[in-house]
Amino acid sequence: MLTKLALRNVFRNRRRSAITLLVIVFGAVGLILFGGYKAITFRALRESTIRSRLGHLQIYKLGFEKAESKKPLEYGLEDVAQLRGAIQTDKRVRMTTAQITLMGLISNGDKSETFMATGVEPIGDRGMNGQRLTAGTDLPEHEADAIIIGRGLAASMHAKPGDYLTLMSTTTSGSLNAIDVRVAGIFMSGVKEYDDRAIKMPLAGAQQLLQTNKVERLIVMLNDTDDTAAVRADLTTLFAQKHWALEMKDWSQLASFYHQVVLLYNGIFGFIGMVVFGIVIFSVANTIVMSIFERTREIGTMMAIGTTRSSVWRLFLLEGLFIGLLGGIAGLLAGTGLSSVINHIHLMLPPPPGYTQGYPLRVMLQPGILITAFLIAVITATLSSILPALKASRLKIVDALGHI
Amino acid sequence: MHQQPLVRLTEVTRTYPLGRVQVRALTGVSLDVARGDFLALAGPSGSGKTTLLNLIGCIDKPDGGRVIIDGVDVTNVPLHRLAATRRDTLGFIFQTFNLIPVLTAYENVEYPLLLQHLPARQRRDRVQYWLDQVGLSAQARQRPDQLSGGQRQRVAIARAMAGEPKLVLADEPTANLDSVTAARILDLVEGLNASTGCTFIFATHDPALMARARSCVRMHDGALITEPHLEARAS
Repeated sequence: MLTKLALRNVFRNRRRSAITLLVIVFGAVGLILFGGYKAITFRALRESTIRSRLGHLQIYKLGFEKAESKKPLEYGLEDVAQLRGAIQTDKRVRMTTAQITLMGLISNGDKSETFMATGVEPIGDRGMNGQRLTAGTDLPEHEADAIIIGRGLAASMHAKPGDYLTLMSTTTSGSLNAIDVRVAGIFMSGVKEYDDRAIKMPLAGAQQLLQTNKVERLIVMLNDTDDTAAVRADLTTLFAQKHWALEMKDWSQLASFYHQVVLLYNGIFGFIGMVVFGIVIFSVANTIVMSIFERTREIGTMMAIGTTRSSVWRLFLLEGLFIGLLGGIAGLLAGTGLSSVINHIHLMLPPPPGYTQGYPLRVMLQPGILITAFLIAVITATLSSILPALKASRLKIVDALGHI
Repeated sequence: MHQQPLVRLTEVTRTYPLGRVQVRALTGVSLDVARGDFLALAGPSGSGKTTLLNLIGCIDKPDGGRVIIDGVDVTNVPLHRLAATRRDTLGFIFQTFNLIPVLTAYENVEYPLLLQHLPARQRRDRVQYWLDQVGLSAQARQRPDQLSGGQRQRVAIARAMAGEPKLVLADEPTANLDSVTAARILDLVEGLNASTGCTFIFATHDPALMARARSCVRMHDGALITEPHLEARAS
């Protein structure tokens, strides 16, 4: 009977209930949309960070991290082929690619600029390509002196595909070396500061400039990011068995920007959650308080004919719960519908700070987000009715019956 | 053998704060109400009728004196612990009917039976019987706002009687009704009193009701001005 009474009372003042439900629906939709946007942003950022720069795992010579090398590649890997052969037997591994990073001066004969270069294996680099070519071609497979150059640096050097530039850097023995390189293409990564300094060159070219056969790191790409921890554990065992003096980092240890974004977005999500929580609390509490005020005589009557305090308390708590349930369900439907609309209209967002490209607004519906939004709606609405319900159950019957 | 009265009030006092002034609603009222009585509490507004009814109905507490209902001294029992007494022993009929608006006539009558945890079948039979008794079987599915004043009061009477109480308290039950409807309501409760033996106490200043009462207690300024002759009436 209490359930029936509570349900009918929710629909008793339809306009007021509708406004309260709308508040809850707006709150739930806000949580679903932002939660879905957050989820897709995290996943996209994670995957782009892994696939364009970091890989899932990076393997170095033991001591690489702690040592502050005086010379380039002092802690470089020497026998990459053997290491790669051992790793690539694992079916979870999609590919491996070796890299060297170096810095130096780039010159067009008239002016010089500092550069940051990444020596890559052209085929492997294409598999984890994070940049977009704006002119020319990608790095050729068998041309050690070809480079692709960031758009900002190319502009600064007045370079176009086919032009020759000079790279100068310190070799592994500490002397200076310079090579002439051909600009094969111009790229942009989306990060202006990076594009103003970046060069990509074949590993062979970088080794030639540094006068070494070593590589700095071996990057391991997996088919599925979720396998990272398992593959890392297996590789650690493998290295120990083979007595290889190597150390390893996974993408999460290297992706500081990703973690900053996660922290920031989680903070915003938490804040929005608190705001929604507050609005729903006040809205539902107001509805219940108004309802109690209007129904004071009715409460007095119910208690006069034998309804216990706890039943009155439960009645109003149930009303809060039903408002929350209805609002939560309507919020889920509205949130899901709106997410589909947003995902279909391909809305573009402006470029974030430091980026030159905008990106599409997309919302990923995850069960966790839907459940969270629904639970927040239900729990908040129920919690907010506790005090008013307690107030109703404590009414003096005589006063309540005399209430006009 | 001398039968114990259903209600015994002994030197009951009740004072209300009204702003900074204390209003003495009852000034040492003593009253015995016999089982099966049909008693009218008469008197002008503010004479203490409703206060007395509230104390008998276990919805208010006296400041002094004793209140005994069906042999149980309820004077010092907190009101919230008297919910079961109100549910099982008492029935209420209000001047403004006080039906639960979201429930149908049937559900309003069923409500006290649900509080009594009566089995569904028994509940259904009892509700149908009482709706039939008050002549509202055809209106069972209607909500209070679809009923006339007289019909609402008859639903309230059915609700009060459905729980098979020993005592029904009615505060100005005919005050909001026209004279014809009021007379029908009085016919009904009088008949119920005769057929069920249930005790009725009315607070009223309706002369028609007073005339029908088996006994009448007059009140003025919180005191009884006519002593009831319960034993004589009971005989």
